[in-house]
Amino acid sequence: MSGTTRRSFLRRSAGAAAAASLLGLPSILAAAPPKARVVIVGGGYGGTIAAKYIRMMDPGIRVTLIEKNGAYVSCPLSNEVLSGERDLDSLTFDYRGLSRRGIAVVQDEVVEIDPAQSFVRGKSSGRYNYDKLVVAPGIAFRFDAIEGMSEALADETIPHAWKAGPQTLLLRRQLEAMPDGGVCAIVAPPNPFRCPPGPYERAAQIAHYFKQHKPRSKVLILDAKDAFSKQGLFQAGWKAHYGDMIEWVSGAAGGVIESIDPKGMTLSGPVEEFKADVINLIPHQKASVLAQEAGLTNETGWCPVNQQTFESSLHPNVHVIGDAAIAGAMPKSGYAANSQGKVCAAAVVAAVNGGEAPAPSYVNTCYSIIAPDHGISVAGVYQLQDGKIVEVAGAGGLSPADADARTRAIEVQFALGWFRNITSDMFT
Amino acid sequence: MHRLSPWSVGLAALTLSLAVQGEGIRSPTMLAYTCAGCHGTNGASAGEYMPSIAGFDKGYLVTVLDDYRTGLRPSTIMGRIMRGYSDQEIAAIASFFAEQPWVSTDRTVDASQAHRGQEIHDTQCETCHGDGGREQEDESPRLAGQWSEYTRYALENCRAQGKRCDPRKMGERVMKLSDEDLAALAQYYESQK
Repeated sequence: MSGTTRRSFLRRSAGAAAAASLLGLPSILAAAPPKARVVIVGGGYGGTIAAKYIRMMDPGIRVTLIEKNGAYVSCPLSNEVLSGERDLDSLTFDYRGLSRRGIAVVQDEVVEIDPAQSFVRGKSSGRYNYDKLVVAPGIAFRFDAIEGMSEALADETIPHAWKAGPQTLLLRRQLEAMPDGGVCAIVAPPNPFRCPPGPYERAAQIAHYFKQHKPRSKVLILDAKDAFSKQGLFQAGWKAHYGDMIEWVSGAAGGVIESIDPKGMTLSGPVEEFKADVINLIPHQKASVLAQEAGLTNETGWCPVNQQTFESSLHPNVHVIGDAAIAGAMPKSGYAANSQGKVCAAAVVAAVNGGEAPAPSYVNTCYSIIAPDHGISVAGVYQLQDGKIVEVAGAGGLSPADADARTRAIEVQFALGWFRNITSDMFT
Repeated sequence: MHRLSPWSVGLAALTLSLAVQGEGIRSPTMLAYTCAGCHGTNGASAGEYMPSIAGFDKGYLVTVLDDYRTGLRPSTIMGRIMRGYSDQEIAAIASFFAEQPWVSTDRTVDASQAHRGQEIHDTQCETCHGDGGREQEDESPRLAGQWSEYTRYALENCRAQGKRCDPRKMGERVMKLSDEDLAALAQYYESQK
């Protein structure tokens, strides 16, 4: 639905709301005034869930979800677009399901948050007043951390593809155009960043493509870190499926990249230079620009919150969830955002109804697909302790290192089922 | 694989309940909402390999979740997750899902497979999984309308365990069935909405 105009998007949303009221369902058009107005900014893995679950828990609350795009493209599973195993359409969702739940879905870009006067300003439709605000804005990139890198360069020649969309397709085209025997360099960022296993799954998916079509080629991972998520499982999986095709250079071994020469396709570290045919530079990260400009971030570049309610430590009545938030031991993952969206929703509903925030429960589950018959996972179960989100000892952890082939294969099926369920939780 | 003695299981459970000491009592809703990312909103699954669990018998859910936790029931990921919860929390999660309405898949299945599956069901399964797999008790989950990919996978797991499959009478029967039999049975159950 990339051809959707703003007008047709609004018309359809309004039609859905009208249909809901004809059926006698709770609706934003209902005559009774809402008990509270909650505005949600951002319709991704966290924002959609906060919107839906607030409505599920208390239909008396008016919920407005403001999202700048008419459709959502999922980052999870987008590495499979690089291997050619799927297309972007299979990762693209619209917001009609949330409209049907009585959520006012508005396509607009929020450009200002005014916590003192409790409103946000949209680029196209002016002011949205709120009693409670939930911000799920995602990440921004620190392009200046690597000399010679810029946002324009990422859009045109050195894609990060760390937000699924046009850059994912650009990177795919570059891989297709690369001659056999070429090198694809992945520059992996320092912690913390969105989707900790992502660069390493990406290496496997690109190698999967090379193995079939360009078997003399290489994937070179230049890492700012000395260790990474699911490391042992990835390295064993890479070896089993792709032999020596994937090479990982740790930070200590010279993998830290300080500058890029895009014309010469050269990456420079303190020790040596690396030449590549395709460069996928995943920049250093911080909370979205909106979160920074609204004063929701601290010196780390991320948003400190009360980890029981996700209310900002800096501005009352503003909650921050998902990758932008500092959430204790939880990683910046889609499942974590989903889980935080529900905890935040429960806290918002409690506050609106004059109650105390309930005791929270959080989970993370994250799958990576190394090959079509080889999946691995990590899980975490979390609770609140002394105001911090901590892992429950003895729970969670990785797929076993010695799992048999049947287990590896079924974990791919579970990864796909994970995707169907988490996206249906978001969009239906 | 060695079998855990009741004593060591009890000790493990005690250790677990001591380990799980967060701040405040977490409600059934709060606990169960975290499952939806893999099992669908309120336990109605949209993924073929994840079972729908909405409306399952509470006793059955408690048993299965606890068996995942202790490792009596093998799993890829459920054991890792369930070790994060106390007995009371498992009971709370089970209560939540037991109260949700069952939702059958909306697919049609292969008719000849389903017919073959029905013949196996009538002779081998009907006594415990009555009314085409719609009936359920604390030892037998609802099967009617479940994703056939999941049912087949669960049957294969039980067959791999053989006599160690719980309940044992189930393992003994499934051991005699071929891959094709299990696939046909799973198709039959999915056809019974």
